[in-house]
Amino acid sequence: MPTRRDFLLASLAGNQGLGQLLELERRLLAAYHVALARDAIEPELGRLLLSHEREHVRGLEQALGRGRPRTSVLVPTTGIDFASRRAFARSALELERVAVDTYREVLTSFHDDTLLQPLGSIMACGAQHEVALRQVLGEHLLERN
Amino acid sequence: MQPTLTRRAALGGAAALALASCGGGDPPPAAGPRAGSGAGLLSSIVALEHAAIAAWAAIGEVLTGEGRGYAREIRAREVANAERMAALVRELGGTPPKNRPAAEYERLFPRLESEADALHFARDLEERLVRAYLEGLRLLPDAEQRGAAADIAAAQAEDLAVVHVLAGEPAAPQPFVTGAS
Repeated sequence: MPTRRDFLLASLAGNQGLGQLLELERRLLAAYHVALARDAIEPELGRLLLSHEREHVRGLEQALGRGRPRTSVLVPTTGIDFASRRAFARSALELERVAVDTYREVLTSFHDDTLLQPLGSIMACGAQHEVALRQVLGEHLLERN
Repeated sequence: MQPTLTRRAALGGAAALALASCGGGDPPPAAGPRAGSGAGLLSSIVALEHAAIAAWAAIGEVLTGEGRGYAREIRAREVANAERMAALVRELGGTPPKNRPAAEYERLFPRLESEADALHFARDLEERLVRAYLEGLRLLPDAEQRGAAADIAAAQAEDLAVVHVLAGEPAAPQPFVTGAS
Protein backbone atom coordinates (compact mmCIF):
# COMPACT_ATOMS: atom_id res chain seq x y z
CA MET A 1 0.00 0.00 0.00
CA PRO A 2 1.41 3.45 -0.88
CA THR A 3 2.58 5.44 2.11
CA ARG A 4 2.20 9.19 2.70
CA ARG A 5 5.84 9.52 1.65
CA ASP A 6 5.01 7.86 -1.69
CA PHE A 7 2.24 10.39 -2.26
CA LEU A 8 4.55 13.27 -1.36
CA LEU A 9 7.25 12.02 -3.74
CA ALA A 10 4.68 11.55 -6.53
CA SER A 11 3.38 15.06 -5.92
CA LEU A 12 6.91 16.48 -6.05
CA ALA A 13 7.64 14.63 -9.31
CA GLY A 14 4.33 15.87 -10.71
CA ASN A 15 5.21 19.48 -9.86
CA GLN A 16 8.64 19.07 -11.48
CA GLY A 17 6.96 17.78 -14.64
CA LEU A 18 4.52 20.69 -14.68
CA GLY A 19 7.39 23.12 -14.09
CA GLN A 20 9.24 21.66 -17.07
CA LEU A 21 6.14 22.03 -19.25
CA LEU A 22 5.65 25.61 -18.06
CA GLU A 23 9.20 26.51 -19.09
CA LEU A 24 8.63 25.03 -22.55
CA GLU A 25 5.34 26.85 -22.98
CA ARG A 26 6.90 30.13 -21.87
CA ARG A 27 9.65 29.64 -24.44
CA LEU A 28 7.05 29.09 -27.14
CA LEU A 29 5.14 32.15 -25.96
CA ALA A 30 8.30 34.25 -26.17
CA ALA A 31 9.17 32.77 -29.56
CA TYR A 32 5.83 33.71 -31.16
CA HIS A 33 5.89 37.12 -29.45
CA VAL A 34 9.31 37.99 -30.89
CA ALA A 35 8.50 36.43 -34.27
CA LEU A 36 5.46 38.69 -34.61
CA ALA A 37 7.51 41.74 -33.63
CA ARG A 38 10.17 40.87 -36.25
CA ASP A 39 7.69 39.82 -38.96
CA ALA A 40 9.13 36.30 -38.85
CA ILE A 41 5.65 34.76 -38.99
CA GLU A 42 2.53 35.58 -40.98
CA PRO A 43 0.65 37.89 -38.56
CA GLU A 44 -2.71 36.10 -38.47
CA LEU A 45 -1.12 32.73 -37.76
CA GLY A 46 1.34 34.28 -35.31
CA ARG A 47 -1.42 35.95 -33.30
CA LEU A 48 -3.43 32.72 -33.21
CA LEU A 49 -0.53 30.57 -32.00
CA LEU A 50 0.54 33.26 -29.52
CA SER A 51 -2.96 33.37 -28.04
CA HIS A 52 -2.89 29.59 -27.62
CA GLU A 53 0.48 29.69 -25.84
CA ARG A 54 -0.83 32.39 -23.53
CA GLU A 55 -3.70 30.08 -22.56
CA HIS A 56 -1.35 27.16 -22.04
CA VAL A 57 0.96 29.18 -19.79
CA ARG A 58 -2.01 30.50 -17.84
CA GLY A 59 -3.37 26.97 -17.35
CA LEU A 60 -0.04 25.55 -16.22
CA GLU A 61 0.56 28.43 -13.80
CA GLN A 62 -2.83 27.82 -12.26
CA ALA A 63 -2.13 24.08 -12.05
CA LEU A 64 1.08 24.85 -10.20
CA GLY A 65 -0.85 27.07 -7.81
CA ARG A 66 1.25 30.10 -8.54
CA GLY A 67 -1.55 32.49 -7.78
CA ARG A 68 -2.06 35.25 -10.29
CA PRO A 69 -0.97 34.12 -13.76
CA ARG A 70 2.19 35.84 -15.01
CA THR A 71 1.75 35.29 -18.72
CA SER A 72 3.60 38.54 -19.42
CA VAL A 73 6.86 36.94 -18.25
CA LEU A 74 8.97 36.34 -21.35
CA VAL A 75 11.96 34.03 -21.29
CA PRO A 76 15.06 34.38 -23.51
CA THR A 77 14.72 33.21 -27.10
CA THR A 78 18.33 32.12 -27.49
CA GLY A 79 18.80 29.58 -30.27
CA ILE A 80 15.56 30.41 -32.08
CA ASP A 81 16.08 31.52 -35.67
CA PHE A 82 14.11 34.66 -36.58
CA ALA A 83 16.08 35.38 -39.78
CA SER A 84 13.14 34.60 -42.08
CA ARG A 85 9.60 33.22 -41.87
CA ARG A 86 10.83 29.87 -43.11
CA ALA A 87 13.71 29.75 -40.66
CA PHE A 88 11.41 30.64 -37.79
CA ALA A 89 8.83 28.02 -38.82
CA ARG A 90 11.59 25.40 -38.74
CA SER A 91 12.75 26.54 -35.27
CA ALA A 92 9.19 26.72 -33.92
CA LEU A 93 8.38 23.27 -35.32
CA GLU A 94 11.31 21.83 -33.40
CA LEU A 95 10.22 23.59 -30.21
CA GLU A 96 6.65 22.34 -30.58
CA ARG A 97 7.92 18.81 -31.19
CA VAL A 98 10.01 18.87 -28.02
CA ALA A 99 7.04 20.22 -26.06
CA VAL A 100 4.66 17.50 -27.32
CA ASP A 101 7.22 14.79 -26.55
CA THR A 102 7.66 16.21 -23.04
CA TYR A 103 3.90 16.26 -22.44
CA ARG A 104 3.82 12.63 -23.48
CA GLU A 105 6.52 11.73 -20.96
CA VAL A 106 4.94 13.73 -18.16
CA LEU A 107 1.47 12.32 -18.84
CA THR A 108 2.74 8.76 -18.66
CA SER A 109 3.98 9.17 -15.09
CA PHE A 110 1.63 11.87 -13.80
CA HIS A 111 -0.77 10.93 -11.01
CA ASP A 112 -3.14 13.88 -10.66
CA ASP A 113 -6.29 12.56 -12.34
CA THR A 114 -7.86 16.01 -12.51
CA LEU A 115 -5.03 17.34 -14.68
CA LEU A 116 -4.48 14.45 -17.09
CA GLN A 117 -7.17 15.44 -19.58
CA PRO A 118 -6.40 19.19 -19.53
CA LEU A 119 -2.70 18.46 -20.07
CA GLY A 120 -3.62 16.03 -22.82
CA SER A 121 -5.71 18.71 -24.52
CA ILE A 122 -2.73 21.11 -24.49
CA MET A 123 -0.47 18.38 -25.89
CA ALA A 124 -3.02 17.77 -28.65
CA CYS A 125 -3.00 21.49 -29.47
CA GLY A 126 0.79 21.36 -29.72
CA ALA A 127 0.49 18.51 -32.22
CA GLN A 128 -1.88 20.70 -34.27
CA HIS A 129 0.62 23.57 -34.11
CA GLU A 130 3.14 21.21 -35.70
CA VAL A 131 0.72 20.66 -38.60
CA ALA A 132 0.24 24.44 -38.97
CA LEU A 133 4.01 24.96 -39.11
CA ARG A 134 4.54 22.13 -41.62
CA GLN A 135 1.90 23.82 -43.74
CA VAL A 136 3.94 27.06 -43.61
CA LEU A 137 7.01 25.08 -44.68
CA GLY A 138 5.10 23.43 -47.53
CA GLU A 139 5.85 20.00 -46.08
CA HIS A 140 3.73 16.90 -45.81
CA LEU A 141 1.31 17.59 -42.95
CA LEU A 142 1.49 14.29 -41.07
CA GLU A 143 4.41 12.95 -39.15
CA ARG A 144 3.54 11.60 -35.72
CA ASN A 145 2.55 7.91 -35.19
CA MET B 1 -32.71 16.03 -36.92
CA GLN B 2 -29.60 18.06 -37.66
CA PRO B 3 -27.00 16.47 -39.94
CA THR B 4 -24.28 16.74 -37.25
CA LEU B 5 -26.31 14.69 -34.82
CA THR B 6 -26.87 12.13 -37.51
CA ARG B 7 -23.13 11.82 -38.15
CA ARG B 8 -22.37 11.44 -34.46
CA ALA B 9 -25.14 8.92 -33.99
CA ALA B 10 -23.72 7.04 -36.96
CA LEU B 11 -20.31 6.83 -35.31
CA GLY B 12 -21.83 5.63 -32.05
CA GLY B 13 -23.86 3.03 -33.90
CA ALA B 14 -20.83 1.79 -35.80
CA ALA B 15 -18.76 1.53 -32.63
CA ALA B 16 -21.57 -0.30 -30.86
CA LEU B 17 -21.76 -2.68 -33.78
CA ALA B 18 -18.06 -3.38 -33.47
CA LEU B 19 -18.36 -3.90 -29.72
CA ALA B 20 -21.19 -6.35 -30.26
CA SER B 21 -18.81 -8.44 -32.33
CA CYS B 22 -16.62 -9.21 -29.33
CA GLY B 23 -19.11 -11.26 -27.39
CA GLY B 24 -22.57 -11.74 -28.74
CA GLY B 25 -24.30 -14.73 -27.28
CA ASP B 26 -21.13 -16.60 -26.48
CA PRO B 27 -20.64 -17.74 -22.89
CA PRO B 28 -18.26 -15.58 -20.84
CA PRO B 29 -14.63 -16.74 -20.89
CA ALA B 30 -13.45 -18.81 -17.92
CA ALA B 31 -10.37 -16.61 -17.48
CA GLY B 32 -9.44 -13.16 -18.67
CA PRO B 33 -8.30 -9.72 -17.61
CA ARG B 34 -8.99 -8.74 -14.03
CA ALA B 35 -11.47 -5.99 -13.26
CA GLY B 36 -9.86 -2.55 -13.36
CA SER B 37 -7.04 -3.69 -15.66
CA GLY B 38 -8.09 -1.29 -18.41
CA ALA B 39 -9.00 -4.12 -20.80
CA GLY B 40 -12.63 -3.01 -21.10
CA LEU B 41 -11.75 0.55 -22.06
CA LEU B 42 -8.99 -0.59 -24.40
CA SER B 43 -11.44 -2.97 -26.11
CA SER B 44 -13.97 -0.19 -26.60
CA ILE B 45 -11.23 1.92 -28.21
CA VAL B 46 -10.32 -0.98 -30.52
CA ALA B 47 -13.98 -1.20 -31.51
CA LEU B 48 -14.10 2.52 -32.22
CA GLU B 49 -10.92 2.23 -34.30
CA HIS B 50 -12.49 -0.56 -36.40
CA ALA B 51 -15.38 1.76 -37.16
CA ALA B 52 -12.91 4.58 -37.92
CA ILE B 53 -11.00 2.40 -40.39
CA ALA B 54 -14.21 1.70 -42.31
CA ALA B 55 -15.22 5.36 -42.06
CA TRP B 56 -11.92 6.63 -43.49
CA ALA B 57 -12.28 4.21 -46.42
CA ALA B 58 -15.72 5.71 -47.11
CA ILE B 59 -14.39 9.26 -46.70
CA GLY B 60 -11.51 8.53 -49.08
CA GLU B 61 -13.96 7.38 -51.75
CA VAL B 62 -15.50 10.84 -51.80
CA LEU B 63 -12.42 13.03 -51.44
CA THR B 64 -10.21 13.76 -54.44
CA GLY B 65 -6.58 14.71 -55.03
CA GLU B 66 -4.56 15.57 -51.92
CA GLY B 67 -7.56 14.86 -49.68
CA ARG B 68 -7.85 11.30 -50.93
CA GLY B 69 -4.14 10.75 -50.31
CA TYR B 70 -4.43 11.97 -46.73
CA ALA B 71 -7.56 9.83 -46.21
CA ARG B 72 -5.59 6.73 -47.22
CA GLU B 73 -2.73 7.71 -44.93
CA ILE B 74 -4.99 8.42 -41.95
CA ARG B 75 -6.82 5.13 -42.51
CA ALA B 76 -3.46 3.32 -42.36
CA ARG B 77 -2.66 5.17 -39.11
CA GLU B 78 -6.00 4.00 -37.64
CA VAL B 79 -5.13 0.41 -38.59
CA ALA B 80 -1.84 0.77 -36.68
CA ASN B 81 -3.67 2.34 -33.70
CA ALA B 82 -6.18 -0.52 -33.61
CA GLU B 83 -3.34 -3.04 -33.65
CA ARG B 84 -1.48 -1.23 -30.86
CA MET B 85 -4.57 -1.09 -28.64
CA ALA B 86 -5.47 -4.71 -29.43
CA ALA B 87 -1.95 -5.79 -28.41
CA LEU B 88 -2.46 -4.11 -25.02
CA VAL B 89 -5.72 -6.02 -24.55
CA ARG B 90 -3.92 -9.28 -25.36
CA GLU B 91 -1.14 -8.46 -22.88
CA LEU B 92 -3.84 -8.36 -20.21
CA GLY B 93 -5.10 -11.80 -21.23
CA GLY B 94 -8.10 -10.45 -23.08
CA THR B 95 -9.45 -10.92 -26.58
CA PRO B 96 -9.84 -7.67 -28.49
CA PRO B 97 -13.01 -7.14 -30.54
CA LYS B 98 -12.79 -8.16 -34.18
CA ASN B 99 -13.81 -5.95 -37.02
CA ARG B 100 -16.98 -6.58 -39.00
CA PRO B 101 -17.33 -6.57 -42.78
CA ALA B 102 -17.04 -2.99 -44.08
CA ALA B 103 -20.60 -3.08 -45.42
CA GLU B 104 -21.98 -3.51 -41.92
CA TYR B 105 -20.37 -0.25 -40.80
CA GLU B 106 -21.15 1.57 -44.01
CA ARG B 107 -24.89 1.11 -43.69
CA LEU B 108 -24.68 3.08 -40.45
CA PHE B 109 -22.69 5.97 -41.93
CA PRO B 110 -24.37 9.14 -43.19
CA ARG B 111 -24.71 9.59 -46.93
CA LEU B 112 -21.59 11.38 -48.20
CA GLU B 113 -22.67 13.24 -51.31
CA SER B 114 -19.91 15.84 -51.49
CA GLU B 115 -16.40 16.58 -50.25
CA ALA B 116 -17.94 18.92 -47.66
CA ASP B 117 -20.09 16.03 -46.32
CA ALA B 118 -17.01 13.80 -46.16
CA LEU B 119 -14.96 16.42 -44.29
CA HIS B 120 -17.79 17.08 -41.80
CA PHE B 121 -17.97 13.35 -41.12
CA ALA B 122 -14.17 13.15 -40.84
CA ARG B 123 -14.14 16.01 -38.33
CA ASP B 124 -16.78 14.37 -36.12
CA LEU B 125 -14.94 11.06 -36.36
CA GLU B 126 -11.55 12.53 -35.39
CA GLU B 127 -13.04 14.56 -32.55
CA ARG B 128 -14.59 11.42 -31.16
CA LEU B 129 -11.25 9.61 -31.42
CA VAL B 130 -9.36 12.46 -29.71
CA ARG B 131 -11.95 12.41 -26.93
CA ALA B 132 -11.63 8.63 -26.51
CA TYR B 133 -7.85 8.74 -26.13
CA LEU B 134 -7.92 11.74 -23.77
CA GLU B 135 -10.43 9.86 -21.61
CA GLY B 136 -8.06 6.91 -21.78
CA LEU B 137 -5.30 9.09 -20.32
CA ARG B 138 -7.46 9.66 -17.25
CA LEU B 139 -8.94 6.20 -16.88
CA LEU B 140 -6.26 3.71 -17.91
CA PRO B 141 -4.43 2.38 -14.85
CA ASP B 142 -1.05 1.46 -16.29
CA ALA B 143 1.81 3.75 -17.40
CA GLU B 144 2.37 1.81 -20.65
CA GLN B 145 -1.33 2.09 -21.49
CA ARG B 146 -1.35 5.83 -20.74
CA GLY B 147 1.80 6.29 -22.81
CA ALA B 148 0.14 4.64 -25.77
CA ALA B 149 -3.01 6.72 -25.26
CA ALA B 150 -0.92 9.93 -25.15
CA ASP B 151 0.98 9.00 -28.33
CA ILE B 152 -2.19 8.25 -30.21
CA ALA B 153 -4.10 11.26 -28.84
CA ALA B 154 -1.36 13.49 -30.30
CA ALA B 155 -1.54 11.62 -33.61
CA GLN B 156 -5.35 11.92 -33.71
CA ALA B 157 -5.03 15.65 -33.05
CA GLU B 158 -2.74 15.85 -36.09
CA ASP B 159 -5.30 13.94 -38.17
CA LEU B 160 -7.98 16.38 -37.01
CA ALA B 161 -5.72 19.30 -37.95
CA VAL B 162 -5.32 17.86 -41.45
CA VAL B 163 -9.12 17.68 -41.76
CA HIS B 164 -9.28 21.36 -40.76
CA VAL B 165 -6.69 22.24 -43.41
CA LEU B 166 -8.51 20.25 -46.11
CA ALA B 167 -11.67 22.17 -45.19
CA GLY B 168 -9.81 25.45 -45.68
CA GLU B 169 -9.63 26.29 -41.97
CA PRO B 170 -6.71 26.91 -39.60
CA ALA B 171 -4.96 23.68 -38.61
CA ALA B 172 -5.15 24.59 -34.90
CA PRO B 173 -8.27 26.64 -34.26
CA GLN B 174 -8.52 26.17 -30.46
CA PRO B 175 -6.00 26.36 -27.57
CA PHE B 176 -7.37 23.19 -25.97
CA VAL B 177 -8.17 20.21 -28.17
CA THR B 178 -10.79 18.28 -26.20
CA GLY B 179 -12.59 16.48 -29.00
CA ALA B 180 -15.76 18.48 -28.34
CA SER B 181 -16.46 21.25 -30.83
